[in-house]
Amino acid sequence: MTEPVSFESSPDAELGARLRSALDGPEPEQFLARVRGAVRASGRETTWDVLARWAPAGLVAAAAAAALFWLLLGPAAVPDPATQLIASAPARMDIAPGQAEADVLVSTLMEGR
Amino acid sequence: MLVDRYGLAARRVARAVLGPGDDADDAVQDGMIAAWRALDRFDSARSFRPWLMRIVANASLDLLRRRKVRRATAVPETIASGGIPPDRAAEGSLVRDRLKGALLQLPERQRVAVVLFDAEGYSHAEIAGILGVPEGTVRSYVFHARRTLRGALSEFKEDA
Repeated sequence: MTEPVSFESSPDAELGARLRSALDGPEPEQFLARVRGAVRASGRETTWDVLARWAPAGLVAAAAAAALFWLLLGPAAVPDPATQLIASAPARMDIAPGQAEADVLVSTLMEGR
Repeated sequence: MLVDRYGLAARRVARAVLGPGDDADDAVQDGMIAAWRALDRFDSARSFRPWLMRIVANASLDLLRRRKVRRATAVPETIASGGIPPDRAAEGSLVRDRLKGALLQLPERQRVAVVLFDAEGYSHAEIAGILGVPEGTVRSYVFHARRTLRGALSEFKEDA
């Protein structure tokens, strides 16, 4: 019969301290400085770096798209003055305080034509 | 910066895999550069420390495979024979040497597991994520590694 294996679930502080002592390398500050320098020299690109590299091409593309849009839809997109006038007129609702008389309603409707 | 905060712990893990020397420092450097470049892809919902240590551990294991590192694991004769010199000042150094020798006798994943668990305070679950193995396997790694390491250190304890 085999003996059940019991796993300790918490760290062994003494063994851990001995391991750290055994595995610590020499000259830690020099080591950190070396790695810092290497990481810095590796020149990671940030999102802004990538965007900055793409910016000129993006601006040209945006300008070309705007020009094309203007050529295709520009004249049609500008409304004629009459339409513009009607569109800019405020919507109006007349509410009669009392019972509206028929001639007032008719004249109001006729004004709109 | 991540190098200042995690560099020395990463170095201990790399030295557990590769043994003392420049290879371990190179592995930490490679891992830190890889992590720095991959920062944009890091999922901030997850814990950063195990993510970084996974990269460093993988860099160390890759280097071990790539360079076929065959570090001398022979324990010095004075230690192997079990003789403890009377000079107590030297004992700390002897314990360290004995521990390093015992550590290098372990399979590499056991080394990483016991160092991460006992020396660096990672949980079994975190180590499982770092090594890409089930949590139960990590518990087994730590158990067997501890038994070997404690056995190597037992004579020093008895003497104390």
